[in-house]
Amino acid sequence: MSSIALVGNPNTGKTSLFNTLTTSYEYVGNWSGVTVEKKIGNLKNGAGKLIDLPGIYSLHPLSRDEGVAAQYLIEESPEALINIVDASQLERNLLLTLQLLEYGKPTLIGLNMIDVANARGIRINQTILQARLGVTVLPLIARTGKGSVQMLSVLEESSAIPAVKFKLNYGEVVERAISSIEKELRSIKDLPNHRWVALQLLEQNPVILQILKSRTDITGLLNICEACQSELQIKKLALTLPQWIRSNRMEYIRSICDDVLDTSTQKPHNLTERLDSVLTHRFLGLPLFIFFMYALFKTTFDWVGGPLSDIVDGLISGPISDGTNSLLQTIGASNFTHALIVDGIIGGVGGVLVFVPQIFILFLIISFLEDSGYMARVCLLMDSTMERMGLNGKAFIPFIIGFGCNVPAIMAARSIEQPKDRMLTTLLMPLMSCSARLPVYALFAVVFFPEQQAFAVLSMYVMGIVFALILCKVFSKYLFKNESSVFIIELPPYRMPQIKTLSRSTWEKGKGFLRKAGTIILAGSAIIWFMSYAGPGGFDVEMDHSYLAKFGGMIAPLLEPLGFGTWQAGSTLVPGFLAKEVVVSTMNIIYHAPDTAGLENQISQVFTPLSAISFMAFILLYIPCLATVGVIKKETASWKWTFFSIGYSLALAYIVSFVIFQGGRLLGWS
Amino acid sequence: MQLQPGAAGFIHKIEGMNPILRRRLADLGVSEGVNIRLKGKGPFMGPITLECNGQLFAIRRKEASMIEVNVS
Repeated sequence: MSSIALVGNPNTGKTSLFNTLTTSYEYVGNWSGVTVEKKIGNLKNGAGKLIDLPGIYSLHPLSRDEGVAAQYLIEESPEALINIVDASQLERNLLLTLQLLEYGKPTLIGLNMIDVANARGIRINQTILQARLGVTVLPLIARTGKGSVQMLSVLEESSAIPAVKFKLNYGEVVERAISSIEKELRSIKDLPNHRWVALQLLEQNPVILQILKSRTDITGLLNICEACQSELQIKKLALTLPQWIRSNRMEYIRSICDDVLDTSTQKPHNLTERLDSVLTHRFLGLPLFIFFMYALFKTTFDWVGGPLSDIVDGLISGPISDGTNSLLQTIGASNFTHALIVDGIIGGVGGVLVFVPQIFILFLIISFLEDSGYMARVCLLMDSTMERMGLNGKAFIPFIIGFGCNVPAIMAARSIEQPKDRMLTTLLMPLMSCSARLPVYALFAVVFFPEQQAFAVLSMYVMGIVFALILCKVFSKYLFKNESSVFIIELPPYRMPQIKTLSRSTWEKGKGFLRKAGTIILAGSAIIWFMSYAGPGGFDVEMDHSYLAKFGGMIAPLLEPLGFGTWQAGSTLVPGFLAKEVVVSTMNIIYHAPDTAGLENQISQVFTPLSAISFMAFILLYIPCLATVGVIKKETASWKWTFFSIGYSLALAYIVSFVIFQGGRLLGWS
Repeated sequence: MQLQPGAAGFIHKIEGMNPILRRRLADLGVSEGVNIRLKGKGPFMGPITLECNGQLFAIRRKEASMIEVNVS
């Protein structure tokens, strides 16, 4: 099996091409660094494997994501490379292309977005480009799949793609250094093209340096680089070696572009200009963004999501549970089985499935914002606020993804260049209300704030954000001193997202929730039901004498000052650590609710509006779920930080709920 | 950098900028001698939007002020 690597700048459509060339589907996003890990798919014609590497501007990495590509190229040996080049940004994209050609493996260039380039009046002479680079150039429109058939047929025999014989002359001084480095490298095994390694070394690529260091003594190599640089300085050719190499490449790229590009009819991107003049307006931009967020929540809860949820609830509490009831009676199931299936499983899992429409609508809107190009603008709008808090606007995207699920959000934080900003984003992510917490808010909002559901839920989200910002300020001041943050973001042109991509990415994000409903929530519901069914006195005991009641009763006194010191509330919190989705299904079982209306009724008797707010705040802030803890450990590679994030969130939840409840009581609410 | 929105100029010098940012700008093709255009300013003294080689990007004002431009 041959393996082929897909490399290119961010936002050039690599992931779209990956999806059309392979049978398996991967998520497509629209901000830089979305492909956080290399993804592997099987080529449609079975000719081999395709590896999708993160989007990079050059092989010299700035963020953790970008390091993956350089590391892959030096440690593994792909049979061939596909370099995706954005036709409307040829000059910039060719910088990476040259570095890849120096790698010396068979390479194909996919000239993507030729439709966009043509629409903007940019013409590219493909024949000359092909001749100057010495590799095959295939025109592509990855979004529609145009050109992918040709690409596949070329890949059919990857061994037939000729190896690249590209060589750029970097001038006498550097060429001498290259050949002496090449000589030194001969003794090291398993290295790719030595000239390429030498050039990467001269460019001071940290990944290459690290890998060489692990295999050999690199003092000699570094001395060559040093000598080469001072010679350049003495001859007044360049200040640094990387600068010299870059300017040589840029010169060559300009000469190619002069021959290949015809920009005489180039037009500005009108739609983007006009939209940006409103959407990123210095006064209008932020109010518009807040309005969009409000509309997002209104749509999710009031306008579309709520009615759909009611339909699902009607189905589960009506036909489905009635049908199961009579079916179980017909086959003569035991009381135990009957109770397990109807109260435990249908009650537990069904109570969570009701929220599926709302979750999918939320994901659909988030996907729309991502694909349209608006998300990058949001970062821009938020940067000044985030900067004041010690973070950078780029962290805003992971935070928004965090509304869906904290796990991919923490992984998306890898695209942030600075380690400090990345760490802060990771630590604060659990404060973003993920979709698993949404059922809890939705349930309580219906019961206690029926008139202002969207507002009540939105205020929970806002509360999370506010605490994230405050803690961000605190953490960046006391935990990470003396590190300023930098901000730079590319703004891709606006475009209308395609329905096909939208539905795919919504499904990709939402299916995790369904999968959890089928596994963790199912198992959790069964276990919790059993704990409520059995007690020290045997099976089928009164709920108040069950193991669950005993267990919840132990935590209850601790929760008393927060306004929900009942064993019922206490016992929902523990499974909530495994997965926050389980909180509502636990309630369904504990309160023995036949349907959502029943549960709502029960809750309205047990909680007061004040203790409901306190409870929602607690659910929002307390301990990240197990999966999130896992990914925090993985990303920070430190138990210290992992425990820190657990500890601060627990403490914060307790304090905030305490203040809400006791403060509310002092003010005379109850 | 004291341009008004919509104004353009050739980059004369970039000095004193955070090296990470400097490298990223270079990756985007922003370097001496290149034409750059100011597109807009963000809210609350936030980042400004610039255009270079048809690519839009945003950086903070403080950093943008390190870019010296000869107005064309």
